[in-house]
Amino acid sequence: MELLAQILSSGIAVGMIYAVIAFGFQLTFSTSGTLNFGQGEALMLGALVGLTCVDTLGMNYWLMIPVVCLFGMIQGGFVELIGVRPAIKIKSEFGWIMSTIALGIIFKNVAENVWGRDALPFPSPLPMEPMTFLGANILPMEILVVVGALVMMLLVEFFNRKTIYGKAVVATANDRDAAGLMGINTSMVITFSYALSSLTAAFAGVLIAPLTLTGATMGGALGLKAFAVAIIGGLSSGLGIIVGGLILGIVETATGFYISTGYKDVPGLILLLLVLAYKPSGLFGKSAIKKV
Amino acid sequence: MLSIKNLEAGYGKVKVLHGISIDVPKGQVITLIGSNGAGKTTTMRAITGMIKPTGGEVTLSGEKIDGYESHKIACLGLAHSPEGRRVFTTMSVNDNLLLGAFPRFTGSRPKGDIKNDLERALEMFPRLKERRNQLAGTLSGGEQQMLAMARAVMLNPEIILLDEPSMGLAPILVEEVFRIISNLKSQGVTMLLVEQFAAAALKVADYGYVLENGKIATHGPASKLQDDPAVRAAYLGGAGGH
Amino acid sequence: MMKLKSHIPLFIAIVGLFCLPLFIHNPYYIHLAETILIYTILLFGLDIVVGYIGQVSLGHAALFGIGSYTAGVLYIHFGMPIWATIPASIVVTAFFGGLLALPALKVIGPYLAMVTLAFGTIAQILINEMTWLTEGPLGIKLPKPQLMGTVMTEAEFFWVVAAIMILALIVVDRFVKSQMGRAFEALRDSPVACDCMGVSVYRFKVIAFVISAGFAGLAGCLYAYSEQYISPNTYNNELAVLFLLGIIMGGRKSRLGAAIGAAIIVLLPKLLDDINLFRIVASIIAIVVVVGAAMALSKKVTTARRVAIPLVGVVGLAVFSFWLNSIADWRLSIFGFMILLVVYYLQNGIVGFAKSFYQSIVGKAKTTRGEAAEEVDDSISFISSVAKQNTGAELLKVESLLMQFGGLKALNNVDLSIKRGTIHGLIGPNGSGKSTMMNVLTGIYVPTAGNVLYAGESVVGKTSSDIALSGIARTFQNVQLFGEMTAIQNILVGLHHTFKSNMVEIALHLPRYIREEAEAHARALALLKFVGLEDLANEEARNLPYGKQRLLEIARALALDPELLLLDEPAAGLTSPDIKELLRIIRKIRDSGITFILIEHHMDVVMSLCDTVSVLDFGQKIAEGKPAEVQADEKVIHAYLGT
Repeated sequence: MELLAQILSSGIAVGMIYAVIAFGFQLTFSTSGTLNFGQGEALMLGALVGLTCVDTLGMNYWLMIPVVCLFGMIQGGFVELIGVRPAIKIKSEFGWIMSTIALGIIFKNVAENVWGRDALPFPSPLPMEPMTFLGANILPMEILVVVGALVMMLLVEFFNRKTIYGKAVVATANDRDAAGLMGINTSMVITFSYALSSLTAAFAGVLIAPLTLTGATMGGALGLKAFAVAIIGGLSSGLGIIVGGLILGIVETATGFYISTGYKDVPGLILLLLVLAYKPSGLFGKSAIKKV
Repeated sequence: MLSIKNLEAGYGKVKVLHGISIDVPKGQVITLIGSNGAGKTTTMRAITGMIKPTGGEVTLSGEKIDGYESHKIACLGLAHSPEGRRVFTTMSVNDNLLLGAFPRFTGSRPKGDIKNDLERALEMFPRLKERRNQLAGTLSGGEQQMLAMARAVMLNPEIILLDEPSMGLAPILVEEVFRIISNLKSQGVTMLLVEQFAAAALKVADYGYVLENGKIATHGPASKLQDDPAVRAAYLGGAGGH
Repeated sequence: MMKLKSHIPLFIAIVGLFCLPLFIHNPYYIHLAETILIYTILLFGLDIVVGYIGQVSLGHAALFGIGSYTAGVLYIHFGMPIWATIPASIVVTAFFGGLLALPALKVIGPYLAMVTLAFGTIAQILINEMTWLTEGPLGIKLPKPQLMGTVMTEAEFFWVVAAIMILALIVVDRFVKSQMGRAFEALRDSPVACDCMGVSVYRFKVIAFVISAGFAGLAGCLYAYSEQYISPNTYNNELAVLFLLGIIMGGRKSRLGAAIGAAIIVLLPKLLDDINLFRIVASIIAIVVVVGAAMALSKKVTTARRVAIPLVGVVGLAVFSFWLNSIADWRLSIFGFMILLVVYYLQNGIVGFAKSFYQSIVGKAKTTRGEAAEEVDDSISFISSVAKQNTGAELLKVESLLMQFGGLKALNNVDLSIKRGTIHGLIGPNGSGKSTMMNVLTGIYVPTAGNVLYAGESVVGKTSSDIALSGIARTFQNVQLFGEMTAIQNILVGLHHTFKSNMVEIALHLPRYIREEAEAHARALALLKFVGLEDLANEEARNLPYGKQRLLEIARALALDPELLLLDEPAAGLTSPDIKELLRIIRKIRDSGITFILIEHHMDVVMSLCDTVSVLDFGQKIAEGKPAEVQADEKVIHAYLGT
């Protein structure tokens, strides 16, 4: 029972991080039909910039968060401008896939050179003593992760539902041409969705950094698993992403315990392959009708 | 108000419009009729920036808008109820209407009283009022058409372009749609109406243009066109039938 | 074969290749050249996925690794010699390629890229963790293979690799130029049309991955013996991206491109290790690009705007190289920038760029008319004469067809009876269900209820390619040609069903394959002549004028030897003279016994061609009969005009 509670609690924390990153994939995919293969690197940069703010500049963790979010927005806008916009213009899917991959590689290399190749510890804003609940050890930071992730997603949902600009984003996702007819500048919406997507990734980065080591390589695996979550849940369903994230987080943690930490990443990836083989639109998504 | 001169447009290699000229004076309802494939929807798309014209010019209240992007044209006061309705299916009726007024929120168009206009629009379209919080995707075809038109009205536009409002609608709903168009006309709204249903369109319009194979085959006051055999020929070919 | 002349540069290159170890004795450089050859073999395989079926694969580093590890594992556990591990590596990796293809069947684009990425990650993890098999992170050491009792020298192994590379070159070249290569390209250009021409998209996707993996496995095996040490972390995602960079930069769909790409990705890291050499090379490239841009600008071939970014990028890179003391750390950024540059400015790779550069100087006329001056054999009956004596019998029967999408009934209880040898028109206002009917008849949609009987047998639930092969061919409302393929290649895809030869026959150019290729070629030319396109045989389909594209689609459909031909708005967008030509062609096809279903909006076309016309409105049939009857029918007039 204690083991189960431990697996669940650790799994949920990890799963929520995946969900937040996957959320970013959904944002850009719904408005533009593209996504950032370098999303993991956006998270990594957020974490490293956050580390610099907190360590070198001596900023308070909570004050650092908006700074990192701003950085994330700028980084996302940059990716869209350089990597995605030209590809959309020439209608090349190959183009944005390869250029977001390329930008991801460049960001990682820059991070390696600026911050070094070692993994660095990130000072935790909360005490590091675990609390016990139902026999499981839960770090206060893990709770912050879950809360932070949910708050971020709720904020975006609020934005989408209650503000006119949010509605404009949803409208663009629904029907880009019709949104243009309403006077909505859809190119700007796409840029904004990339900015927001990197913002959520950067935010996820500073949430998870105190729990693991921060370094230039932290983004790669996270990005792939977040993509798995986005696919498993369905790229068009917000709830699906949370469910997908939880499933993946828990399965992964369980594998780590029962089999070995080396194999931890495998079940999630196999689940991804199975979903793509049988229901590519995801567990919660709607299948598209072919139009000829 | 809206003036189209020698407009040429197409899709990639296919040239659909070979130089058409249409005039929409303020306060009038002009209709563009013709059979499928004649180029009616292409004309609408070229005017509202969904595709770029390859030749000719489009002028709105004196400003040349050919080549502009859709959102810019909308902000100049041209509302478009597109072919196939294209309502935002995952959003409520209310939200769809609010989005119709988007440029008024952002200041690109005079703000006016958006809330008041929303209520007035719902009065004009009672079916929508009943369903104001329903998701637009769950509405029937006729209700979606009402929504698309109401959405266009929400812009407080200089001119409304209606693209095939009757498409896919049962006859009784078509009557309702045209009743609303008449209503808007009596309020002095300028409209360019593209229709496959020639009879209903010619009844409500002041002036008509008949489009055939990308060119204007004939044009004239709507009442005269109603009896013109050329109209019948443009749709059904030859001089067959009654 | 007068083509011998064009093979001379190749012969010279091969001779030069084999002479390499005679002039260069330093094993380091021989090894470098060997690595380039091995990567070239891998890129041959990767090109099949990237260039021919047009997808991004991030899994080829893993397939490469599987090839290496098959050799390694067989060596340390069973002591197998290279002559056994090579075929084993090919087979095992090909198997994994097939495995990779399964989740990839239904997806394309970013999803497919992710499938390959996931596969690559899983493979690397498994190789790392299954230490009982692979020695895990410790890696495996292999000696150079033995030849007649003695271990090979670096030079001897080089010759083995070179010979294998030449063989691989010949095999892959033959594959991609055969009906298999055409099937791959058709899959890329239009999966829907591909299925409807009887070429199963699923099947060929799997075949493409399997073959591609086979080459990767071969390369991996040779790599293991070349490096003499393999470990899991070599075969990582960065290597996968590097392979992609290689094939895109070298040039897709080109053997030379694969070789150039391999050279770049092997030599580039070496270049980056030596800062002085890099500075020299970067400066030279900057000067070349500046001069080239100046020339292009002065000749008005391009605009200032378009050259601005590459210019800034290249000059900036040269300046950057002088500022740094070591560029090795920035290796990956350089790769990233190169990918960006290639994706936007060098889409056809170095080979493609060189070709178009050459063409812009020499003139295009020389290059495309090369093969077209072939004789068309008029004696070939390119349209198989369908049994004429059954004219009037029922060929296709649609019974109470219901096609429902969610709440929308696109087709509502429709009955149709199509008689052999007739042209049956299907008309109706927008959204009445005509194209939906076409899609149901060709298997793109499965009907919600009702039945479709073709020659007495139900076709409901059959795949599009099976339906196509049983005799129903179609054209599309929005032209679905295989754009990047030439006109004659498009027709050859339609003739795919006439090819019975397998991979071995293709690879060895055995007589049956040669004969089938020649017969198909002749028949394709005859079909082109029939629609008046024989002069444009070698023109890319997407460059043809619209009217001719439509005729090409009809010719392609004829290649299927159909009994029933479905035309979806064949006259849409055509000018009057084009329409006359279209009518003439349709009548001629009808005269040979083929039955038609024709969707059209051009009433003149319908009236002059059709024997019977059915009218749909809101998914239901509202009228049927001879054209003149239908034209005068009140319900029809009301449906269209509203009076």
